[in-house]
Amino acid sequence: MSARGIASGEALSWIGAAAAILAVFFLLMLMVGAPVGEALQGFFNGAFGGRRFSYLMTTLSRAALIIGMAVSVMLSFRAGLFNIGGEGQLVAGGLVAALAAILLPGPPLLVLVVSILAAMLAGAVWALLAGVLQLYVGVPLLVGSLLLNYPARYIASYLVAHPFRDVQSGMLQSHLVPQDMWLPYFPGTRLDIGILLIGFVAVGAIVYSYTTLHGYRARMNGLSPDFARAVGLPVTRLALSTLAMSGAIAGLVGAVAVFGIHHRYIDGMLVQPLYAWTGIIAVLLVGMAPWAVPLSGLFFAAVQTGAAGMERAAGVPKEIALIMQAVIILFVATRVSGALLASSERRGADGA
Amino acid sequence: MRVALSGITVRFGELMAVDDVSLTIEPGEIHAILGENGAGKTTLMNALFGLVRLAAGTITIDGTERRWSSPQDAIRAGLGMVHQHFMLQDTMTVLENIVLCAEPVGRLGFVDFATARRRLHEKAETHGISLPLGRQVGALSVGEKQVVEILKLLYRDAEVLILDEPTSVLTPEEKDRLFSVLRSFRAEGKAIVLITHKLDEVMESADRVSVMRGGRLVSSSPLAATSKERIGREIIGGELPSPRTRGEYRPGETVLSVEGLRIASRAGSVGPISFEVRAGEILGIAGVSGNGQAELVQALVGLKRPLSGEIALFGRRLDTLDIAARRRIGMSYIPEDRQRTGLALAATVSENANAGREDARAYTRGPFLNRAAMARFARGLIDRYRIRVAGPHARAATMSGGNKQKLVVGRELARATPLTIAENPTWGVDIGAMDFIHGELMRMRDEGHAVLLVSTELDEILALSDRILVMYEGRIAGEVAGREADRERIGRLMTSRAEALPEVA
Repeated sequence: MSARGIASGEALSWIGAAAAILAVFFLLMLMVGAPVGEALQGFFNGAFGGRRFSYLMTTLSRAALIIGMAVSVMLSFRAGLFNIGGEGQLVAGGLVAALAAILLPGPPLLVLVVSILAAMLAGAVWALLAGVLQLYVGVPLLVGSLLLNYPARYIASYLVAHPFRDVQSGMLQSHLVPQDMWLPYFPGTRLDIGILLIGFVAVGAIVYSYTTLHGYRARMNGLSPDFARAVGLPVTRLALSTLAMSGAIAGLVGAVAVFGIHHRYIDGMLVQPLYAWTGIIAVLLVGMAPWAVPLSGLFFAAVQTGAAGMERAAGVPKEIALIMQAVIILFVATRVSGALLASSERRGADGA
Repeated sequence: MRVALSGITVRFGELMAVDDVSLTIEPGEIHAILGENGAGKTTLMNALFGLVRLAAGTITIDGTERRWSSPQDAIRAGLGMVHQHFMLQDTMTVLENIVLCAEPVGRLGFVDFATARRRLHEKAETHGISLPLGRQVGALSVGEKQVVEILKLLYRDAEVLILDEPTSVLTPEEKDRLFSVLRSFRAEGKAIVLITHKLDEVMESADRVSVMRGGRLVSSSPLAATSKERIGREIIGGELPSPRTRGEYRPGETVLSVEGLRIASRAGSVGPISFEVRAGEILGIAGVSGNGQAELVQALVGLKRPLSGEIALFGRRLDTLDIAARRRIGMSYIPEDRQRTGLALAATVSENANAGREDARAYTRGPFLNRAAMARFARGLIDRYRIRVAGPHARAATMSGGNKQKLVVGRELARATPLTIAENPTWGVDIGAMDFIHGELMRMRDEGHAVLLVSTELDEILALSDRILVMYEGRIAGEVAGREADRERIGRLMTSRAEALPEVA
């Protein structure tokens, strides 16, 4: 097949995927008797519109957290480390950030910086714990990192339900962090500057993956662990340092959620929106290609807020909006991974 | 069953892997297809088997033209293929592997293993094959695994059997056994296609010989109508390399010394093993695959911790050091498995070439990679080791087997360490690459480096070694000086320890 043939084939199948999504959309709207035009408009408005682009800001704010978690996962996955404990590391970060900010004395800016660093450290430690379990106890990382999610969640639940609970609020949540530590909003919006931190980390992670010695070695380990070992790469150190980076980024995301969005630790605030799991899917969707991870994260955030917008604008039941969300992800995911698969087959085909 | 290939052409992008090849495979015949790696032998057979798409040409079976949409069609039509890299599930039993995807299903939907077992027994018996059907495949030797692959074809009633490099992993004895099974198939009227680049076994057992070079069919004729010399010339498109001349044997100081080494293995333990390798010599370790060589190499390199014993390089204890430290002190390693251990196939040639260099400063600037320096180094290896590849930025997977191996050998030998450990360094590579790699190992020896050559290929051991140790059941069964080595005696040492009395050190 010629290059042009492949490209037009690609375009055609994207059109096919879009048509399929639309078809399901019409069908669903027909079923619940919702106005199609309004629902469609509600979707795009919900993702990118709003008065003074307020919904777009919501999308971006959500995207920041998803991208952060996706970048965290991407670093581990590329190194061949199946760290699916992002949730635990995220919770550890968020919890420590809130508690440190509430408990530590000192000038607000300093406490803020220390709290964020403490959150990153907490995330790193939680990730390293899974690494140590694998390397020295023999618990596979996939299992260890997953199981460590639960203690993190329950420890956090306990702490904000008992010792550090804001009892007056009547909710399971910590006290508010002092207001002068809140991350400032961009002028005239409800979008905090946390997205800048995440953007900085994402750019750093992309540069790291493509250009640094550590990133190169980690990728060799990811492509072939036997090879990495045999040529004498420091595989244990590589694994631990990569996990620490992953965990620190997850911890940072937790801190951003605390200081930028919720301003306290609320039980379940990092778990229920499935940030960590969406991050994993976002990474897998683009085959762990670093440059595409932020776009993928943005896509997932937009689909989620868009579905919510559809619900608001056209009175579509929430569940239908969720189905629509799943359908979009499903079709786009099969298309993207299909395209990636085809291109990797083309590259490998010369190996006669 | 008579298979006629006509005008078969296969393209991979720009590359013509198979170019207008026409060939007939007759029943009751062993048909050898010879050629260097990358000559298109395997691709041609993959085309026949429905694994690659034809750009042109037709496949005719018993007079009717056939087209496969998948290998499943080819299998149903009576074709069977044993690939060079076995397609077996290590954690399943022999029987489960054989019936996989062709299970006899009982009335309630359960797999009827009893029937399968009975059918298999009959078939195996007629051809004189015996194999424990209940054993886990992972516990079998390489030779036995190959028998499992062949039984798979028998079980599916294949009439045309394609074997890709079947003897590259076998001992002389297993090889004989394989060929007697193949002859039994031939007597039953089956057609056998043998892809190989070993001339000797072709001369011994084939009825018809086809030679391929650069994707084209050079010749196809009955064995009687050709000669070994002629086939050799046709394979490489010129004269065969002359036998290797070696410099004088002048062993220097002891480089590697191994004392009472014991290593855990699947079958219990390997060892105790003691030996020395000196500067300026190639020490060959011969033996049938699975007699502890793999464990020994892993322990020496640092991939596996020994149970007890000492390993020392220039008198410095190694056995507590990790791989990186050992390599820094002066060890290089050419692993047996280039697909997994030797290379990261999805990475580029340049990334593969630089991974083994401990002096990272040569190709970095601060924490960042110096891609230009990396590519320069890779290009140096490509030129010096005459690796055929598009360039430093091509993926390692795009190279043929021989060129992959040259990259591994080049990367390791370029380090010019006092000790090189080479584990089956020419496994499954073509004559040209093999000759080149042997030349490089010999050059290392002549320059005063120590080389430990672990190989299951007796010819390789005999061609290169100054001293030969033979391993059997985890121990060293005997030592033979390279000059006076004779095949018979080593063959005996390879199969029994009792024979090995006088020379044991």
